[in-house]
Amino acid sequence: MKKLIAVVLCLALALTCAATALAEEISISWWGGDSRHEATQAAIAAFEAAEGVTVKTHYAAWSGWEETMSGSFVAGNAEDVDMVNWNWLFSFVDASGESYFYDLNQLSDIIDLSQWSDGMLQACTVNGKLLALPNALTGRIFYWNKTTFDQAGIEFPTTYAALKEAGAVFQEKLGNDYYPLALGAYDKMILMVYMLESKYGKAWVVDGALNYTVDEIAEGIQLIQDLEDAHAIPTAATLAGDGADSLDKNEKWITGKYAGVWEWDTSASKCQNALAEGQEFVVGEELTDLGEYKGGFTKVAHGFSIARNSANVELAAKLINFMNNEEEGIRARKSEYGIPASAKGLALCSDEGLINPTVAEANGKILAWCSFPLDPKFESGELKNDGGVYQDVFEGLSYQDYSVQEAAQVLFDGVTAVLAK
Amino acid sequence: MQRTNTRPRRSRLDQGYMGFLLILPWLVGFLIFKAYPFVSSLYYSFTDWNLFSGGSWIGIQNYVTAFTNPKTVKALRVTFVYAFMTVPLKLMFALFIAYILNFKIKGVGLFRTAYYIPSILGGSMAIAVLWRAMFKNDGVINRILTILGMENINFLADKTWALFIICLLRVWQFGSPMVLFLAALKGVPEELYEAASIDGASSGRQFLKITLPLISPVVFYNLVTQLVQAFQEFNGPYIITQGGPRNATTLISLIVYNSAFSEYNVGMSSAMAWIMFVIVMVFTAISFGTQKKWVFYSDERGDR
Repeated sequence: MKKLIAVVLCLALALTCAATALAEEISISWWGGDSRHEATQAAIAAFEAAEGVTVKTHYAAWSGWEETMSGSFVAGNAEDVDMVNWNWLFSFVDASGESYFYDLNQLSDIIDLSQWSDGMLQACTVNGKLLALPNALTGRIFYWNKTTFDQAGIEFPTTYAALKEAGAVFQEKLGNDYYPLALGAYDKMILMVYMLESKYGKAWVVDGALNYTVDEIAEGIQLIQDLEDAHAIPTAATLAGDGADSLDKNEKWITGKYAGVWEWDTSASKCQNALAEGQEFVVGEELTDLGEYKGGFTKVAHGFSIARNSANVELAAKLINFMNNEEEGIRARKSEYGIPASAKGLALCSDEGLINPTVAEANGKILAWCSFPLDPKFESGELKNDGGVYQDVFEGLSYQDYSVQEAAQVLFDGVTAVLAK
Repeated sequence: MQRTNTRPRRSRLDQGYMGFLLILPWLVGFLIFKAYPFVSSLYYSFTDWNLFSGGSWIGIQNYVTAFTNPKTVKALRVTFVYAFMTVPLKLMFALFIAYILNFKIKGVGLFRTAYYIPSILGGSMAIAVLWRAMFKNDGVINRILTILGMENINFLADKTWALFIICLLRVWQFGSPMVLFLAALKGVPEELYEAASIDGASSGRQFLKITLPLISPVVFYNLVTQLVQAFQEFNGPYIITQGGPRNATTLISLIVYNSAFSEYNVGMSSAMAWIMFVIVMVFTAISFGTQKKWVFYSDERGDR
C-alpha cells in the first residue's frame, strides 16, 4: 500500500512538473492603485483561462516604479508586456539608437491596430516604429470635495479670482487647516503652464526649445505664489508636514480639509476612492479668466509595450490585444486605465455602463478644452522627479529661498538644459 | 626485502587545491558581483555614461561637477553632519544602556531583549514609514507636545529638525553596538573596580580610567562599522523625507540613486559613489592610524 501511494505521489509530481514545463508562460508589469490592480488581475485570469497559459505579474504603486523599470530594461529582465509612461518611448533608447521596446507594427496580424486612431498610433511611433499602444488619453482637471465647499458656503471656483477668494473664505469659516486646493510641486508646474498657455496661446515647448521668456515664466510663477499667499493652497512646508506620499494618501484630502486637487482624469478614481465616507467628489470646470486661449495639454496617459528581448512576442501581443480589444479583457479592465483608447474598448464600456461616470465627465471636459501639445521631455526625470528642477523651483519659492524672478530663472535654465540634451 | 609503500599517494586535491575549490563559489560571486561592478564603476565615473545609451570618456568632469555643483556640495555637507551627529550619539547611547544593563538588576534579560528589538527591525521600509507617521504634523510626537502644552513642531518640513529625526531613527537602532559593549563590559575584571574603590576613585573616574580603556577595542570596532553604515544611509531619508525639505536630508547615497535611476546619469552616480567610498576609506584609515594612541589590546600591555 505504501509503495502504491509513493508511486501515485511520484506520478502526480512528474505530471505537475511536466504540465508546468509545457505551459507557455509570459510576464506583465504595471503600476497603479488597488482598484487597477484588481481589474488587471481579473483580465489576466480571463486570458490565462482562454489561452491555457501562465502569466506572471509584477505591479506596484507609481512611486519608485520608473526607477525600477529603467533598471529592468537596461538589465534585460523587464517583463514581456510592460505598462509604459509615454515619455519612456523617447528616452529608453540604447547606444545604437534602438528602442528597448518591440515594434508592434510587426504584430499587426495579432493585435487589431485599427481600433486606435491614427493620431494615437502616431503619438506612440518613434522613428517609424510603433512602441506602445495607448490605454487612454489624459489631461489635468480640477476635482472638488463638494461637502467641504458646502460647509464653507461657497460654489466651486470657475475663475482664478474665485479660487483665490475661496482661500480666504476657507480660512475664515473653516479654519487654518482648510484649503480649497492642494498642489504638489509637479501639480504647480502643470497648472502654471496651463495658465501661461491660457494667456499667451502658445505651447510650452516648440521644436525642442522653451517657448517662454523668463519674464513670462515669472508671471506664471507669480500666479502660483499669489494662490499660496491667499491661503488657496497650502505651503510646501505644510504639505511636507502631512507626511503623505501623495495627495490621495494625505489624511487632509481624505477628511476633506484639502477640498480640491488638480489631477489626471485617469487618476480620478483613486482620489475619489480615498475620500472618507460622506464626502462628495465632483469634477470641476476650467478656469475662464486666465486669458483668451484654452490652456492645458492632453497626452497619451500610458500604454502597453512589449520588451524587445521578450522570448514570446506573439503571446505578449495576444495579451495586449485581449486586454484592449476582446470583450472579456475590456470588461475586466473597465475604465481603470482611463477612458479606453481602443474603439472597441470604448464602445463596449459605454454600452455596458462600465465607465466610471466621474472619469468620463472629466475626460470629456479635458478633451473638449485642452488644445496644446506636450513635449516628451516635459516629464523627464531630471525635471519632475524628487530633487528635480520643478521641485527645486516651487519648493524654493514656497520656502522663500527664491524670489519669483529667481525661481523663473532657475526654471528657465533647468528646462533649457534638459531640452539641450 | 623490498619495502612496499602502503601509504596512499596524496591526491592533488589534498595538496592545497581543496581549499581553493571550497572558496571557489564565493570567489566567483565576489568577482562577478563585487569586483567587476567596483572596477567598472570607477571607469564609468570618468565618463558621461547614460543608463540606456552609454557614453564617452570625459576625464574628471564628473568629479569637478561634484565639488562645484551647489546641490552635490550640499549633499556632501549634509552627509558629514549626519554621520558626525549619528555615530557619536549612537555609540554614547549604546554604551550608556549597556552600562546600565551590566548591573545585576531584576529582569535584566527582558530589558536587554527589549532594547535589542529595534536593531532586529533594522532600517526597513516599514520602520521608516512608522517614523514618518510618528513625526508628521498630527503624529504621536506632536500630540504629546500638545498634551504637554507645547507648540507643535513641523518636524518633516523644518530643515534642521528633519535631519535630526533621520539621525534619531539610526540612533534608536543602537542594539548591535550595545550588545558588543555589554560583552566587553562583562570582560572587565571586577577586582580592578574593587582596587580603585579602595583607593578612593569615584565612579566617574573608574569609568574613564578603567572601563573605557579596557573596552576601547570594542569602541574602535563600533566606531568604524557605524561610520561606514552612516555614510551609506539611504532608507531613512528616502522614505521619510525624500531628501527634503530643500535638500536638507539629501545624503550622498540619494544623489547616487537619483543620478543613476532618475536622471539616468550613471557617470555622475558612479563618481559620487567613489567620492563616498574615498571618504569612508579616509575615516577608516584615520581610525586605524590613530588607534595606537587610544585603543588598548590586552596582548599589548605597556610592561612587556
